[in-house]
Amino acid sequence: MTQPFRIPGRGRVDQSRPVQFTFDGRTVTGCLGDTVASALLANGIHLMGRSFKYHRPRGVVSAGSEEPNALVGTSRGPGRFEPNTRATMQEIWDELRVESQNRWPGLAFDIGAINDRFGRFLPAGFYYKTFMWPRSFWDKVYEPFIRAAAGLGRSPTEPDPDLYASRNLHCEVLVVGAGPAGLAAALAAGRSGASVVLVDEQSAMGGTLLSEPDVRIDGQGAWDWLAATLAELRSLPSVRLMTRTTAIGYYHQNMVGLCQRVTDHLASPPEGAPRERLWRVRAGQVVLAQGAIEKPLVFDGNDRPGVMLAGAAQTFLHRFGVKVGDRAVVVTSHDSAWHTAFDLARAGVRVPAIVDVRAQVPPDLAARARSLGIEVLASHTVTGTTGRLRVASVMVNPVRGDRVGPWRGIDCDALLMCGGWTPSLHLFSHTKGSLAWDAQAGAFLPDRKTEDCEIAGAGRGLWGIAAALEDGAKAGTAAAKALGRVAGVGTFAVEDDRTGSGVVVKELPTDRDASLAKAFIDFQNDVTAKDIRLAVREGMRSIEHVKRYTTNGMATDQGKLSNINGLMIAADALGKEAPQVGLTTFRPPYAPTTFGALAGYHRGSHFEVTRKTPIDAWAESRGAVFEPVALWRRARYFPQGAEDMRAAVARECRAVRTAVGLFDASTLGKIEVMGPDAATFLERMYTNPWAKLQPGRCRYGLLLGEDGFIRDDGVIGRLTADKFHVTTTTGGAARVLNMMEDYLQTEWPDLDVWLTSTTEAWAVAAVQGPNARKLLEPLVEGLDLSDAAFPHMAVAECTVAGFPARLFRVSFTGELGFEINVPARHGLALWEKLWQAGQSHGITAYGTETMHVLRAEKGFILVGQDTDGTVTPGDAGLDWAIGKQKKDFVGKRSLQRPDIVAKGRKQLVGLLTEDPREVLEEGAQIVADPHQPVPMTMIGHVTSSYWSEALGRSIAMALVEGGRDREGQTLHIPMPGRTLRAKVTGTAFVDPEGQRLKV
Amino acid sequence: MTAQIHTFPRSPVTVAVRPLATRFSLRLRPGHRETGEAALGLPLPHRIGRISVEGGRQALCLGPDEWQLDAPEAEADAIRAALPGSLPHALVEVTDREVTFVLEGPGVLDLLSIGIARDLSRLEIGRGARTVFDGVQAVLVREAGERFTLSVWRSFAPHVEELLHRGARELALGL
Repeated sequence: MTQPFRIPGRGRVDQSRPVQFTFDGRTVTGCLGDTVASALLANGIHLMGRSFKYHRPRGVVSAGSEEPNALVGTSRGPGRFEPNTRATMQEIWDELRVESQNRWPGLAFDIGAINDRFGRFLPAGFYYKTFMWPRSFWDKVYEPFIRAAAGLGRSPTEPDPDLYASRNLHCEVLVVGAGPAGLAAALAAGRSGASVVLVDEQSAMGGTLLSEPDVRIDGQGAWDWLAATLAELRSLPSVRLMTRTTAIGYYHQNMVGLCQRVTDHLASPPEGAPRERLWRVRAGQVVLAQGAIEKPLVFDGNDRPGVMLAGAAQTFLHRFGVKVGDRAVVVTSHDSAWHTAFDLARAGVRVPAIVDVRAQVPPDLAARARSLGIEVLASHTVTGTTGRLRVASVMVNPVRGDRVGPWRGIDCDALLMCGGWTPSLHLFSHTKGSLAWDAQAGAFLPDRKTEDCEIAGAGRGLWGIAAALEDGAKAGTAAAKALGRVAGVGTFAVEDDRTGSGVVVKELPTDRDASLAKAFIDFQNDVTAKDIRLAVREGMRSIEHVKRYTTNGMATDQGKLSNINGLMIAADALGKEAPQVGLTTFRPPYAPTTFGALAGYHRGSHFEVTRKTPIDAWAESRGAVFEPVALWRRARYFPQGAEDMRAAVARECRAVRTAVGLFDASTLGKIEVMGPDAATFLERMYTNPWAKLQPGRCRYGLLLGEDGFIRDDGVIGRLTADKFHVTTTTGGAARVLNMMEDYLQTEWPDLDVWLTSTTEAWAVAAVQGPNARKLLEPLVEGLDLSDAAFPHMAVAECTVAGFPARLFRVSFTGELGFEINVPARHGLALWEKLWQAGQSHGITAYGTETMHVLRAEKGFILVGQDTDGTVTPGDAGLDWAIGKQKKDFVGKRSLQRPDIVAKGRKQLVGLLTEDPREVLEEGAQIVADPHQPVPMTMIGHVTSSYWSEALGRSIAMALVEGGRDREGQTLHIPMPGRTLRAKVTGTAFVDPEGQRLKV
Repeated sequence: MTAQIHTFPRSPVTVAVRPLATRFSLRLRPGHRETGEAALGLPLPHRIGRISVEGGRQALCLGPDEWQLDAPEAEADAIRAALPGSLPHALVEVTDREVTFVLEGPGVLDLLSIGIARDLSRLEIGRGARTVFDGVQAVLVREAGERFTLSVWRSFAPHVEELLHRGARELALGL
């Protein structure tokens, strides 16, 4: 195709560099620098999609990120499909594949367009009203149907192969928007020496200047001035320019989120390059120079392909060298569209008429129009358009007072509308800055600021290049001065500036039945003027309710095109002034943002920290199955051959009870508590007594919260008079340290004791089983391991396998056991030496699952599994761990509270199922009488349940109301389809006397 | 452990692991600082982030009562023995807790900006800070204009290292 609508020699695209992409399978040729939209328009293609609700044919409306209609699917290669790409933002490159959306079987003929015919039966609130009854239909019928029909574009089905990046950035001045105001602000701030970041969402900087080449600044053409200005900014070392970068959100304390599109515009991005990068910018001062967004006019048929914003036509003409049609009618309420008409006429586009809704139009504009052969229709309205897939004519009527005269048709292939301009206040609104209604401008303008920011140019209602430059320079200077820098205010001599003004209107007057009009306000959500009026009639008073009832301004549009039109119509229907009706809240992100950009590096292997022990590699090489415990991954079991978990765990359990097992306990939290007051501190923190614990001895420690409930537990060893080695649960390590620091710093700052986390300083191998001493003895130097010299709950520093070690004689299995702590760097080597030495003793590596079973056989609790934050030491059967002589410890007072000492609290008990092969489900509820009516009274739940290889039967622990008084009773566990019976027992299932430790 | 250096063609920053020396966490009350200094033969800076060096020993102040001491392995025993029992303190060896990365090159600030929110261009040379890199607690030291060390706990090191390498690769692309 020859790009019949491209004007040779015009625009900033490289017309000598053709680019071929496909649109719905057919090859389309554009130029380097084109967007999908400009390239399609160059080829005369306006129809780019179907609308969301009514499936109406739609063409491009705007030339920027506010585009509501031209949403397309883009495919940048395998797995790189994206729905709802804005055709006005996506730059083209060879082999880019583009497809239209929301149509079947094809764009030109679409079955779903039937909705359009029945549109009068699908008014605002239709779903709420129609699908209310019968209630039972909602889940099974209505919601699935609505969900299937809803949505725009198809979701990608393949995993996203792209990479996403993120960075933090600090600057003194962040300028958002690189139009005349933003450029002037960046110049002023940059010249003062401030570090400046200037961002613009377009591929090129310049904003309006890209569409206004004929204005002259400081004696230069606009584009020459732009080039010189950008060159100067680039020459300033403290200035960073970022294109294709959208400021998506403005957060507290001048933090602004930027999304930079890094490679979407490249045909072959370098391997490993991120697709997008999220920048978290902390700026001393922010200058918002986002400009203004042109408003559509609201009339019947204003959504037909070929009907578009006048400013967009001007952009396509000047920036891309594309005529949006051969015969363009202009309809406007603002002077700016007149200039578009003049530019188009001079470029060879026939402009039959300018329709202005105002009774008075500036005489100079009217004269200029007539001189170009354009008919001037002041005090006119548009009451309809014709054409199926492209506008073919427009119906215009004179208006005299309230009377709309007879229509006449004007043939056209493009209808350019302008309802004035809305200052872009999105980012300012994110800061919760307040807005004030400016009746003169018919717009909300920024009022009270909450952040260190300046708003410049069209974003605060100014119009014209000269005004924007001047205002931008002032803002940049103010920002620099606020930072304590010396800055002068630059001045600019502007010639041929096209200033102007306009009026704000609601929907255009019509002589036809307004209830039949399809006059769209929100193109993306298919909301019409009559939907707004219906919402008001049905009782919606607040603009927030109108928004939700009609969906006006929802989703990605965020009211960019629709808000003010919706507000004007709602205000009219309510008989109120616009500011009394208010404006809906703009929320971040300003423009649609990919999940990838928000996730950044945090996906796949980097999704979350995975902490691994020094012994992890050994476990992995032995085929261990891992489980996550807090941020750690721990070996759960080590299957041999075809073993499943139950078989592997049974084998591992047998080995520990009959020979020796080896377990990686490195993840246990460790805190070195050191200082003259160490024992005093532990006395106060833990329930147990510590003062008389001798160096070289250990004790089980139980930690409560102030509420008296169990928080953590672990073995604590006293190394010297003033040095303790505290262990915590794996998941509790950080929490316990924080809690201890909290008490130490706020309650007892007088204590001379300090806490140091040593969790990662030590690797820990647990050797457990009757052969443990036999295995260890030859490897230990400097310590007598005999029971007499080194009894259960002893600790010593010695050498194990040649490594300096802290050796604990402790047991979480009920067997003779040792835990060997060595500096982490030696962890793997120690493990391998133990493994080798253990071969003759039947050594078996075991994982966390076996550890859980073995401790349950002994009735040892797991904090967080057998406790849930409401369990006291008494409930857990741990009264013995409370130092009876102690005056105080954290939680002691709460243990006297009436509800803590009351009878009937849930207590931890053992459960033995009647059928020994039945392993209860953890979390299963327990009832006393299975014959009671549903809902039954539940008296507790199963907390731990396993197959016990040692006993050849299942065992369980449960929290049961008044549990210990029920010992011997049979309780019932209702499960789907059956009810299980179990007897209440004590919790020590294996070796309750602890004889196996006394060896 | 030997130093591993990863470079990517044209990357403006290198990522290496610094071999283990000896590191202690020293805690004592600010009022006892001078006693500690005399015993260790090393000034203990009283401002957070300041570093003092004496011979092979270095102290980084991380809190009003907290210093990170770095020393050659050969001096470990001497440091352990230096502080008198009469001085209330905690001296805990944390050498094996930590992995220290050395990041160097003109792109080092960009690389760190991937994981650290604070403005590191304002961290003076010869200063350090406890901070957070990509959600992981870290101690950062600016050894030279374009050289930083980043110390994290051992089990977090692979996560941090993965991102540092990815960042170095990304910087090499210049996009």
